[in-house]
Order: sequence, then structure tokens, then C-alpha cells
Amino acid sequence: MLAKLTGWMLLGVVRLLTGAQARWYGCPPKAEQRIYFANHQSHADLVMIWAALPEELRTITRPIAARDYWGNTPLKRWITTEVFNAVYVERGGAPVVPLSTPSTPRTSQPHAVPTLIPSERIEPSMDPIQPFMIQVPPPAPAAFAVKAVQLPLISSAAIEPAPSASDANATPAPDTADPLAPLIEALTSGDSIIIFPEGTRGYTGEPQKFKSGLFTLAQMFPDVVLVPAWIDNIQRVMPKGEVVPVPILCSVTFGAPIRLEEGEERRPFLDRARDAVVALRNV
Amino acid sequence: MNQFLRDLSPTHQVAALFVLVFGVLAIVSTVTFLISLRERRNALHSDAWQRELKDFQQLLSTTWFMVVVFWIGWALGEGVATLLFALISFLALREFITLSPTRRGDHHSLILAFFVVLPIQFILVATARFDLFTVFIPVYVFLAIPVVSALSNDPKQFLERNAKLQWGITVCVYGMSHVPALLLLSFPGYEGKSAFLVFFLVFVVQTCMVVQHLIARRFAYSALDAGPKMWRWLQRAPFAPNVSQSFNWVSWAVGMAIASVVGALMSFITPFGYGQALAMSLIACVAGSMGHFVMKALKRDRGIPNWGPKGMGVTGANGLLDRVDALCFAAPVFFHSVRWYFGV
Repeated sequence: MLAKLTGWMLLGVVRLLTGAQARWYGCPPKAEQRIYFANHQSHADLVMIWAALPEELRTITRPIAARDYWGNTPLKRWITTEVFNAVYVERGGAPVVPLSTPSTPRTSQPHAVPTLIPSERIEPSMDPIQPFMIQVPPPAPAAFAVKAVQLPLISSAAIEPAPSASDANATPAPDTADPLAPLIEALTSGDSIIIFPEGTRGYTGEPQKFKSGLFTLAQMFPDVVLVPAWIDNIQRVMPKGEVVPVPILCSVTFGAPIRLEEGEERRPFLDRARDAVVALRNV
Repeated sequence: MNQFLRDLSPTHQVAALFVLVFGVLAIVSTVTFLISLRERRNALHSDAWQRELKDFQQLLSTTWFMVVVFWIGWALGEGVATLLFALISFLALREFITLSPTRRGDHHSLILAFFVVLPIQFILVATARFDLFTVFIPVYVFLAIPVVSALSNDPKQFLERNAKLQWGITVCVYGMSHVPALLLLSFPGYEGKSAFLVFFLVFVVQTCMVVQHLIARRFAYSALDAGPKMWRWLQRAPFAPNVSQSFNWVSWAVGMAIASVVGALMSFITPFGYGQALAMSLIACVAGSMGHFVMKALKRDRGIPNWGPKGMGVTGANGLLDRVDALCFAAPVFFHSVRWYFGV
């Protein structure tokens, strides 16, 4: 009840400040299982896309929230879990494996070496069941096997690499533990999710290269529709380091779904996904 | 009839005005609805005509909305009316800022503009501190904004950024705040009827804009079109095509003339005499239409045809500023002309 009330109030504030316009170009708002992937410019991205979705979709769509920002005060934690119904992920968990490609423009990944062991944990309250990996319906067994091996390596994925893996209150997790696990669980249970595959928030208008989490999820859940989304202007509402938002109109543009083609490589797919997001800027 | 209306109390007179406006709107809406019903069953007209009908229906629903809002504002008293204009001003400024690029260094100035300057200005209006509210933005805020900007340590395009913000505040906040200020002007023998003055201003300016728009559109310039002499006379090439495809002096003059005459005919609801009403509406219309023209230049520079394109642009702007910019420019000029002339 309280959560609902807060949700409405928050929605009102967001609409007053930003308009929270949703523009459906490539696809209609439809209650199918989807992965929305969007550019990431501000912490408010999550709120923005949440507010832009129509009521019916909002309840079945779970945004991904970085724990070190959205979980650091009790109030934020309450809003994130109760109002947004978000999925927490840890940032700066497993290392970003560059994988030969000059993956990110950022040269320093300060946390690279020391965290080779998957030290991150998932919110205990959110997923009481541990062996989620087993529940995953493997669509293509062969591919799944390959991926299972890769996962610990290419994992950090949708998650922003933070300077340090500060909360290493790791429960003794088996090798299967990886930052994607909460997302996989959410998808397995039939929810749609919203991810920001860039990892870090950009400073320029240009999105950075996408991290591989999207690819992994696309492989694991071939039936889930991948919808690109462009969030416009939100970085002006609340630039990094500011607390008070200013009223500036923003919009979220949803584009035509993309899908992982047969035998498509990781990097080409991620680049294609990024292009799909960037292309929405000018429609 | 006239005598009857004059004998009513001011409140009743304003109420009668609203009844009249609602009645006219209801008739127009019904007719439009019937026409659209007929069209839907068997389309008689071309696509362009259909589109125009749709445009008109949209305009009609906007008008309904605005009239209802005005009515609520009036019914609940001056405080609520002021709050209403504050909200419109807020939304207009939001739209203005959205389309003028700001940098990170402007964040504090924006907070100042939205959450400090705007409320203070409208509080000053609501408390009728006329001497302060006319100078608050041009004098105090003029200094405060660049100071805050400079303090955020970003000299890049400093003058340009600040000029944009100052402009936005002046047009959207300062200009708009003069509309509710009219409610508080007290003319001798005109107490309680200031709502008429607001209605007068809004109606005259809107009439001018609509007439101008319709003429420019109906008689869109085309080289080979031959028609009656009158038509050809009205068909003029746009005067400044880079800024506006529709603006030309002839349609402008016709708009001025019609709106001023309408204003003069409405003089009975104002404290003005016949000639005074004519002059006042002429002043308001010149200011409003020129202001609209200036805003068009601004939009062109930003590469947008309207503040909110029909299909909803990437900014999500919905075109409120398009509707109110003429009023924003007309209101201060009108207000100060009236105050100066009548010494109130």
C-alpha cells in the first residue's frame, strides 16, 4: 500500500520534472517477456524508463539497480525493492575480461586483478534459492555448455565496474555465482528486465561499447524479445554528482526488437545492439 | 439586455461571460462532432481537408481545456489563478530549457531559476508587490544567475549559456507572471472585475494569432494561382522565409486590424473606453505577434518547426510554449501600458 502510494507520488514528480514520455517506434507496448536495453547516462535512467512504461508493463518489468548506489541507504533500498521491484546487481564483481577487442574506451579498470575470484553476492532477500542455474531451461544444450564455461569469465556484463569490490561479504558461493545470476533468475521466473549494457554512465552523448551480458542473456533466453531503448536528455536532469534534479523534458524511445542471429559472434552482436540503440536518437 | 448585464454584480457578470464562452464552445464542438460523424460514414472531402478537421478538433480540445482551467482558476479565487499561471510558466520554462542546450555547469543556475526565481516571482505577484515584482527579475536575478554560473567554474560559452537562461526566465517567468498580475490591478469603479481584463488580453491576443495564422495558411503563397483580386492581394510571399514561412505584413496587418476591432467591441467588459480599448488591444497584439515571430526565429535556430512537432519529438516537448509565447510577450507590455496610462 505504502509502496504503491510512493510509486504514484514518484511517478507524479518524475512526470512533472521530465514529462516521462514514452515513444514506441519499433514495437508496441506489449505484455510479452522482454529485455529492454538502453543507454546509460545517469542513475535516474532507471526511474525514467520505469516511469515511461505503461502501468501494466511496469508491474512485470524489473529494472536492474546497482547495489552500491541504490542499496546504500535504507530508504533507497526500500524504494528500489518495493517500488521499482528492481533486481540488484553488484558492480565491480568479476573482472571485465577484455577479450582481445579494445573493448572499453576507458583505459583504467582499476579493479581488474584482485577480484578474479567471484566475490560478489546476490541479495539474499531477493533470491532465497541458490541453485538457479539448474532451473534455466537450456534452449540449445551445446551452446549452454559452452556458455557455462564462459560465464565466469565474461560475466560482469550489464553491470557497471565500480572502482572497488567493496562489499565482499561473499557467502560461500560455488563457481556458478556470477553477477548475471539475479537477472537470469528474474528472466527464468518470467519477468521482463531493463538493463544498461554500457556498464558505466557515459559523460558524452555517445554510448560506450556494450558489455557482453546482453549477449549472454540473449543466448540463454532466445525467446525473450530484445528491445532497444534510447533515453534522451536525462543526464541534463541530474548530472553525475548532483542531488537536486532540474525540470527538463526527457523521452524514452523504444525501437524495433533485434535478435541474436544463428551463429552470430559476441562482438558483432553487441555492436549491432549498440547501433540499434544509437539509431533511436534521431527518429 | 445590456442594462440587465450592467445591473448584475461583478461576480455574476464574470459568470455570465463564462456561460457565454462555454455555450459558444459547446455549439462549435457539437457541429464539429456531427461533421466528423458524417465524414466517417462517407468521406466527401479530400485527405487534406480531413487533416485540417483533425487539427481543428485538436485546437478545439486545447481551447476547452484552457477555458475549463481558467474557469476553475477564477472560481477558486486569485490565489489559485496565480498558482495556475505559475504552473504554466513552469511548464513553458521546462520546454524552453529542454531545447536550449545547457552544460553541467548550468545545473545550479537551473535549480535557481526553477525552484527559487519562479516561486518568488509568483509569490510577489500574489501578494501584489508591484514595485518589487517588476524589478525582481531584470535587476536581481540578472545578476544572480551569472554569479551562480561562474561559481560552478565552467567558463565555456559563458555569455551564451547565461543569455539563454536569462532569456528563458524573462519570457517564461517574467512575461507570464504579468498575466495574473492583471488580476490585482485595481481600477476605480472596476473592483472585482479584473478577471475580465485577463480574459480581454488572452482573447484579443489569441484572436490576432488565429486570424493571422488562418490567413497565412488559407492564402498560402503560390505563384500561378489566379483568383479574385482580393485573394491575390492577400497572397504574399513570406517576408522572412528563413524565420517563418507564413509571416507577411499583409496577413499581419489584417490580424492586427481584426483583433483590435474585436478588442474595441469588447471594451464594455474593460475599464477602457472604446478608443482606449482599441489602442490597448493594438499594443497587446503587436507585442504578442512580434514575440511569437521572435520565438520562431529561436526555434529555427534550434532546427525545430514547432516546440512540439506533431509526432512528438525526441525531447518529448508538447508544444505548450507555442501556445503561450505570444501571451508571454504581450502581457508585460499590456500591463505596463495600462498602469502607465491609467496611473494605477
